[in-house]
Amino acid sequence: MSDSHNISDSSHIGEMNVLLVDDEKHFREILVKRLSQRGIIALQASDGEEALRLLEEKPVDVIVMDVKMPRMNGIETLRHVKDQYPATEVIMLTGHASTRDGVDGIKAGAFDYLTKPIEFEQLLRKIRQAQNKIRRAETEKKEIEFRERIKQQMAINERLVALGTIATGVAHEINNPLAIIQDSAGWVKQILAKPEMSTIPRRPDFEKALDRIQTSVDRARRITQQLLHVVKTQSAEIPDLVEMTEVNLRKLAGECIALVELEASYKEIKVSLESSDPNPIVWTDPYQFAQVLLNLLTNSIQATDAGGKINVVIKSSEEQVSLAVQDNGYGIPEENLTKIFEPFFSTKAVGVGTGMGLYISSGIVTKLGGVMAVDSQPDKGTTFTIELPVKA
Amino acid sequence: MFKTPSRILLVDDEKDFVEMLTLRLQEIGEEVLQAYSGLESLEKLKETEIDVVILDVKMPGMDGIETLQEIKKRYPLVEVIMLTGHGTIETAVQGMKQGAYDFLIKPADFDELTTKLNKARERRHDQMERIRKAEANSLLRRSNI
Repeated sequence: MSDSHNISDSSHIGEMNVLLVDDEKHFREILVKRLSQRGIIALQASDGEEALRLLEEKPVDVIVMDVKMPRMNGIETLRHVKDQYPATEVIMLTGHASTRDGVDGIKAGAFDYLTKPIEFEQLLRKIRQAQNKIRRAETEKKEIEFRERIKQQMAINERLVALGTIATGVAHEINNPLAIIQDSAGWVKQILAKPEMSTIPRRPDFEKALDRIQTSVDRARRITQQLLHVVKTQSAEIPDLVEMTEVNLRKLAGECIALVELEASYKEIKVSLESSDPNPIVWTDPYQFAQVLLNLLTNSIQATDAGGKINVVIKSSEEQVSLAVQDNGYGIPEENLTKIFEPFFSTKAVGVGTGMGLYISSGIVTKLGGVMAVDSQPDKGTTFTIELPVKA
Repeated sequence: MFKTPSRILLVDDEKDFVEMLTLRLQEIGEEVLQAYSGLESLEKLKETEIDVVILDVKMPGMDGIETLQEIKKRYPLVEVIMLTGHGTIETAVQGMKQGAYDFLIKPADFDELTTKLNKARERRHDQMERIRKAEANSLLRRSNI
């Protein structure tokens, strides 16, 4: 029989791993040779135990295995294989007139069986069928994983939208009483400033209390304004607020770094900029993007000890440009990684952080058609990466 | 400091807010009138001469923008400062395109409010002055013929 007539078929199964298990050395060697002529590299094992040992070192896609073997027979080996490597497909070779073994094999999870003496082309067909089954299963698994990921992402998005809606509603409702509190306190302050009031008893106490009211109103106002800003940036009704234009990301990053350099210098933190492309151009809104970048840089400075380093790395390809802000700071504990993009999540001291920075930033990046991701290791540092399409 | 005598109309459906802001403005010597809805503000404007209206954007019934349009139609020289509780500057921008002098985001800083108030008043004052001069000129010209 000529093997050369359909040799081209072998190209697509070249990457497949096959293990041949048979106690007859001669039979094995002939088969391995013929398989290799067709582009299939097969490993060999002389019995079940050896097969299992080989699988431990390197799992394979398809096993071709004799039923009749000394010590651990084919069916028993098959059970072990299916138990430990459920994705591996097994083709059983049974002796002449022992269909019983073949049926037992299929019951134990074999892909199919062939009766010895086998016809080589038939074996080849079976191997390819087994391989197709594996491929299908892999594709299905990937599809399921993909769907699962989309579902998770959608659930997160829905939650963020709901949180945003509630939060902005609350912000609207709170601004009015806040204005009343502010003006009430302001009025008392005005009265205290009158000359005839200059000698009232416990004057410093009044002033102290009024001062606290004002500070707290300012804080609450900052939060509500940021919240309302979120609606502004995330609302689909006002897309023209984004002014897309060609932006040299390297230049923009340089400008942002210049703005935070003073703050960084107080902690002796060095901020550097690297770019593979001297002119990485993206289509984006420079002001909104700068807002995001400043937020990331400020976070990094706050999360890094004195003497630390912050790197801004820009990489560009034909389709997209990525910008990473890397620091060697405290890092983010794993349990917080999923929460940092939620509104009101902050680990900073009360009154220092509003917990809105990353929520707003990721909202802006999404709106600009990009993706923001985080990678962090406690005590090693954090990297925020933004990927932007070159052209919208 | 010299202040041109003038009247401010404060329009907001939140009574406590109107009251407190009135007290603060009175404390610095302003004359303040109150209205708790768009319609009421139009009535007040009919009864009394007003220089500057401080107008809330979000009100039940006739909202701030509608009220503004009506005020500007009837009394184009009255200056209007919009108060927006939205933080969405869009409404304020819309208001300014329709003739509002400026806007403030609630809760507004009192100093900022008085600064804008004074500027609005100045503008109205200058405008009235120019109109008076123009009227005087036209009278002069007519009498010269």
